[in-house]
Amino acid sequence: MAYITSVNKLRLKFPDEKGLLFKDLTLSFKKGEKVLLLGPSGCGKSTLIQVLSGLIPYSIDIPIKSENIQIPNSWGFVFQDPDSQFCMPFVDEEIAFVLENLQVPREEMPERINELLDMVGLQLEDIHTSIQALSGGMKQRLAIASVLALNPDVIFLDEPTALIDEEGTEQIWNTVKNISRDKTIIIVEHKIEQIIDFVDRVIIFTPDGELLADGNMTYIFSNYKEELKKYGIWYPGAWEDFKRENNQKTVSLRNDNEVHLKNFHGYRKKEVKISLEEALIHSGEWIAVNGQNGAGKSTLLLSLMQLIKTSGDYQINEQSIKKLADLQRKAYLVFQNPEYQFITNSVFEEITYELKGGKEINNEYFHKKANDLLTIFGLHDKQHQHPYHLSLGEKRRLSVATAFIQNPKLLLLDEPTFGQDAQNTFKLLELIESERQKGTIIIMVTHDLNIVQHFATRVWEVKEGRVISDRKKNETKKKVEEKAYEYSI
Amino acid sequence: MFKGLKLTDILVTIVISIGFGILYKIWGPLYYAVKPLGLHLDQLIYGMWFIAATVAFLIIRKPGIALLAEIAASSGEFLMGSEFGLEVLFYGLVQGLFAELVLMAFRYKRFDLLVVSIAGISSCIGSLILDFYKGYVGDLSTWNLILYIGFRFIGSILFTGVLAVAIVKALEATGVTKLVRSSSQKDHEALNQ
Amino acid sequence: MNTAFKENWLHKINPSLKLLTISFLFVFAITIHHFNFMITFTLSVSILFIFCTGHPYKHILLFLLPFLLIFLSTAASMILFGKGETTLYKWGILHITEESLYRGLHLGLRALTFAMMGLLFALTTKPVQLFYSLMQQLKLQPKYAYSFMAAIRLIPIMIEELQTIRDAHKVRGVQTQKGMNSLLKSIKSLPIPLLSQSIRRAFRIAVAMESKRFNSSNERTFYYQVGFSHYDLLFIGYFILSISLAYLFAINFPFFPVSDVRY
Repeated sequence: MAYITSVNKLRLKFPDEKGLLFKDLTLSFKKGEKVLLLGPSGCGKSTLIQVLSGLIPYSIDIPIKSENIQIPNSWGFVFQDPDSQFCMPFVDEEIAFVLENLQVPREEMPERINELLDMVGLQLEDIHTSIQALSGGMKQRLAIASVLALNPDVIFLDEPTALIDEEGTEQIWNTVKNISRDKTIIIVEHKIEQIIDFVDRVIIFTPDGELLADGNMTYIFSNYKEELKKYGIWYPGAWEDFKRENNQKTVSLRNDNEVHLKNFHGYRKKEVKISLEEALIHSGEWIAVNGQNGAGKSTLLLSLMQLIKTSGDYQINEQSIKKLADLQRKAYLVFQNPEYQFITNSVFEEITYELKGGKEINNEYFHKKANDLLTIFGLHDKQHQHPYHLSLGEKRRLSVATAFIQNPKLLLLDEPTFGQDAQNTFKLLELIESERQKGTIIIMVTHDLNIVQHFATRVWEVKEGRVISDRKKNETKKKVEEKAYEYSI
Repeated sequence: MFKGLKLTDILVTIVISIGFGILYKIWGPLYYAVKPLGLHLDQLIYGMWFIAATVAFLIIRKPGIALLAEIAASSGEFLMGSEFGLEVLFYGLVQGLFAELVLMAFRYKRFDLLVVSIAGISSCIGSLILDFYKGYVGDLSTWNLILYIGFRFIGSILFTGVLAVAIVKALEATGVTKLVRSSSQKDHEALNQ
Repeated sequence: MNTAFKENWLHKINPSLKLLTISFLFVFAITIHHFNFMITFTLSVSILFIFCTGHPYKHILLFLLPFLLIFLSTAASMILFGKGETTLYKWGILHITEESLYRGLHLGLRALTFAMMGLLFALTTKPVQLFYSLMQQLKLQPKYAYSFMAAIRLIPIMIEELQTIRDAHKVRGVQTQKGMNSLLKSIKSLPIPLLSQSIRRAFRIAVAMESKRFNSSNERTFYYQVGFSHYDLLFIGYFILSISLAYLFAINFPFFPVSDVRY
């Protein structure tokens, strides 16, 4: 059978990095195959599909060498980040951009656009809809539609669901399944639950970009489960395995912090954007904040951090909170994108930035504390690196570490596990759990029902700018879990 | 002159310049807030308007980038509805052109503080020429004119030179600039090891 | 600008033609040194700006407020420190003369017309239409046009991002300290995350565009065909007529006994 795309003895080198990424990698793909590439982050799976599509080196200037690279005649590429693959402001204009590139006559465009949107199941009232108004899942389906405009034989998908919530993920994979007949599909992904029955070939790479395994899903599952676990792949049952292996250590809780909220409102442009009637929170509680996109979850965190105008009663340990300065050493908010919060040029400085506060940094106590944190967070070897050079998981850990060093009474987190692989997610959750046991109150926005199920002690549901329900899990544990599923899907 | 620019070069230049355009838009009202003092303290921060050219050039290091950056920054500011109206476009064009000429004179081979400061001063001269036509600044009393020009020169060096170099250095430390710089011969040779 | 408005004839003018006309008026305004003409010229621009953009008057009024500040601040330094002989007022280094007063007011009006013309354009032109028109009428290369459109799409995203970065830095205590030192720190620390994020995003968009077979040197068709209409004539006609009238009026019925404001 003829191959549709292949590489022969591929070598690749990133500028300023010492070793080669691939050393004489040879790999080929048959027409119509549905292939999944797996491996730890940094193993080169995304880079490989960029080479197969010719994006490297034609669009991305990275040195490669090979005996032969066979680029498919027609191919399309769906990227990870829904916000950085469009160049036009409106849905119809974006697809029209592709049609223009292919020199489709203008008169045929509107019909073709409607056709393509139908194929991916994007039923819009008006095709001239702003892309920014779409959800992440819809944006990715629009990306698939504009790729289909190219009429591709091969479609490359580079972690298309990494930044998408569960609902969107399902829609994306349903779309891919619908359009994939007669097409070769090559997928890079670490959330594999929904595509197990779809792919017929799985390839696993080692951390250095070497081939480890190549076979069908059953073969991979029965022989390489340990590797999947080690490489942070979200295989089905990953949560159960994690819980089984990490029995809850019961540490006696310290009950010395208390947050009290009454008639609490957060404002944007003088309009109430979030309201909470009354809540009393104690040490040992881990509140998961649930709700749909745009319901006001992040606004709630910004209000609690006093970054937007608020009104009502807000007390931490009976001290009234009126402005950001009142929260010093009391509360800390970890933003979704860790890079936003980095301000220095090394991991060590980043950890100790808050400690300085004008004081002498050579203080032995602080040094020890910083070193302890670096070790706990697995960043000790990287302490001299620039924060931006860390991997995604390490960046996230660093941003949480900068919170811990302040010993906040109240720790606010905005989807800290979003887009993370399994290993990093579990590591982070364990760290937060140990902080909770030390008495820190945790309030975390999350879409992930597994966190609600396995870690949270209390669930807030936000809808249309209001906290509409507040349930403690240990009281009616079972019931809340079922409910949690109901309202978050 | 722009023939050699790839889509990535152009898009990166325009996006960061429009980013600066947003900063300019915030800068504009501040500029007018200090202006009525009459003693031209506003001129000290005028140099902020030339910074897109040198920052973009220091990042991408190709001919035409400085000019494109200033045009893009001023278009961004213009399309967001700047208080300065249409004149930003003309000023952007002239300032970009004057900076570009200096970089060209050094054959686009030098990326140090001295060269970008000279580029900043050149932009400053360009803006002053327009001011003479548009704002009759030649008709200010002499001591006042000297203050006006002097402050603007100092501001140009501070922002277009010193601050731009500092920003790009910090950016280089993050590693993001590698994306837009060409791969070196050395990297290609390393493939044969 | 995303305020609610009614589309009217000013929105239907060919964007390239609108840009060229307004650019010509900009240059033309610089050649006006006659104070009385400047006043009537300002009137002719303001009529269009106030009554014809299709935006509610409440918004127009809001836009006019900062213009007042521009007028005053542009006029002030020339009035206070400009050269002149007929002294009106003198106190220390302040020296207001009749000449500098008129010249200052003249400059104020000039800044005002520039601001109005610029906003007139921004309020009545969609960026996408402008760049399609620039490609079709003025042969702008597609790689520039689409880069601009992609970048403009990112403006609201970048503004939001800037706000988030500011908040994130506040939480880390960057801006809680007062004084020059922390101001300098924030001047340097704010742009880094914003720029690095923008560079990465722009790079990814460019790669995505090329993956969709964008090639600037290839022929392409256009989803929007931007042409000309009789509104274009109306637009140019308005300026020819109103400026001629403005000139005649200013020459024959001067408001103030001055002509050239230059020293």
